[in-house]
Amino acid sequence: MVAVSVVLVYKSTHVVSLAHGQIMAFGALILYFAFVVINLPFVLAVGVALVCAVVIGWLIERFAMRPLIGESELTAFLNTFAVYLMMDGLFQLSCKGSTFSFFHLLPHDMFSVFEVPFPITQLVSFGISILVFVGLALFFQYTKMGLEMRATAEDHQLAQCTGISVQRIFSSIWGISGLVAAIAGIALAMVIGITPFLPYIVIKGLVVALVGGLESMPGAILGGLILGVLENVSAGYLDPFLGGGVKEVAAYVLVLFILLIKPYGLFGLRRIERI
Amino acid sequence: MWRPSGTIDETYEQNIAIVRTRRHWGTLIIALSALFLLPIWGSYYLVSLINNLSITIIAVLGLQIVTGYCGQTSFGQAAFMGVGAFASCVLVMKGGFSFWLAMPVAGLISGVCGLVGGAPSLRIKGLYLAVATFAIHFLIMWLIFHLDFLGGPRGLSVTPPKIGSFYFDTEERMFYIIITVMLLMTYGARNIVRTRIGRAFVAVRDNDLAAQVMGYNIFYYKMLSFFIACFYAGVAGSLWAHLIKVVYAEQFTLMNSIYYIGMVIVGGLGSIPGVFFGVLFIRIIDELMIFASPVLSKTFPWMGQAPAAALSLTTFGAVIALFLILEPRGLAHRWEIIKASTRLYPFAR
Repeated sequence: MVAVSVVLVYKSTHVVSLAHGQIMAFGALILYFAFVVINLPFVLAVGVALVCAVVIGWLIERFAMRPLIGESELTAFLNTFAVYLMMDGLFQLSCKGSTFSFFHLLPHDMFSVFEVPFPITQLVSFGISILVFVGLALFFQYTKMGLEMRATAEDHQLAQCTGISVQRIFSSIWGISGLVAAIAGIALAMVIGITPFLPYIVIKGLVVALVGGLESMPGAILGGLILGVLENVSAGYLDPFLGGGVKEVAAYVLVLFILLIKPYGLFGLRRIERI
Repeated sequence: MWRPSGTIDETYEQNIAIVRTRRHWGTLIIALSALFLLPIWGSYYLVSLINNLSITIIAVLGLQIVTGYCGQTSFGQAAFMGVGAFASCVLVMKGGFSFWLAMPVAGLISGVCGLVGGAPSLRIKGLYLAVATFAIHFLIMWLIFHLDFLGGPRGLSVTPPKIGSFYFDTEERMFYIIITVMLLMTYGARNIVRTRIGRAFVAVRDNDLAAQVMGYNIFYYKMLSFFIACFYAGVAGSLWAHLIKVVYAEQFTLMNSIYYIGMVIVGGLGSIPGVFFGVLFIRIIDELMIFASPVLSKTFPWMGQAPAAALSLTTFGAVIALFLILEPRGLAHRWEIIKASTRLYPFAR
């Protein structure tokens, strides 16, 4: 899901963003504070977290990314990196290196519809992700703004010519992707809790997006599945021979191979270059 | 290149000289002797800070060549430093090499690893290459962590370098080795970038298609830049190993690579003096944060006991973002402007 938000931003603004890892983490953190510390009702707390995430996404676009429109992709990438580091510091400050968990904080009777052959929280996260994917697909296919966004993704200048405010699209795309990232963060935090390492998931998200192809939303979903399966399978089969820890590097080996064989990912647009 | 009015080059040697005028020579000699006498007049803190800085400078010089001059972003510099450090340890402790031989050999080993690491640049560039170097960083660190003869999580220890029976076993004694190597490497880098190779790097960076058309074998030059960068990283790692005397995988994190990239950006891409500016600037901010953190945690209790690490991350990120937005050419460019305006002072600003 992080990968989806990375792809979302890349598709329409041609910026690869690492900042989403932080939006994700902050979404979960704000939920924690709203729900546990201030004691808001759960639904309201989720609402607060999502609104905050949208605002964060919008702020990043307005103050960090907009001055760099027209610069190279790499510059923009480094800038999201800088934003990532800034927010990382703030995140470490606010969680002070400790781990909060949601496991026992979530009211269990909310999910008791499913009986427990496997962890309930994972099922819920999975359900949420599917809902988000469907929602995004519908949004892009059937609303006016979705259409405008697709037009912007095709060609910024042409979109501007037809009277679409590209800047407005950019900020709303960052807002939406912030929303997706925050939902991902909350879903993830339900499974693994809020740790200081939560934001680092985005690097894996980036790998997933690259494997699937940066332009392709189905690619991101498929890439996520491939990576998940590969990590667990390789850990299962190779760990005994290589002395453990294969799970951590499997993703990187995969992305190296994919980049060498198909530089633009499995479903990415192939750009024709001679060198 | 600007030179003071009235300085006219008459021979080829004068034209290619790095140090041009008598005043340059004077300043250089005074600065160098002050630097070499530092252990006498400076505090222990200053000496160890400069040791640390110099090693960083060597690593960042390499990164400047591959990223600033050749345009290939590499996030693997810290990992290659790790390769150099471990190679040097193994050579000294198990291969029976002396430090003086082990350091360049460690650099070469790291450089060869860099050739493997740079291989993806054959097919991909820009952003994709940056992510590939991420992957390479994690792979190398994983290998270092899991290879048995490298000591795993406990790492390796190493004896200090020696001449005869004189051991370079303290910060003050290592200082001389580190400073000398740093100066030599700087001199080397300064010369690499203005020879044929350096110009080829710049051509590849600015427009790879045009460089290829002009007859440069761009893959060869990309690989060469990776080799040089990793050689620098390897030497830096070797010095680091012999300064700290114990190396383990956690010393070379992705965060270090990111800091190196940040230093290159702050200093200015494509400038050797920029490396010095960048390293100094970032390190000074870090040190300030360390001094400021007790005060801050007293004034704002919610920050907790030791906000230094988190705060320096935040300021580092902010500095990088500001530099990318406001001064993409870095401090070196600013420095050139200052130099030019002082030279032209009464006539132009």
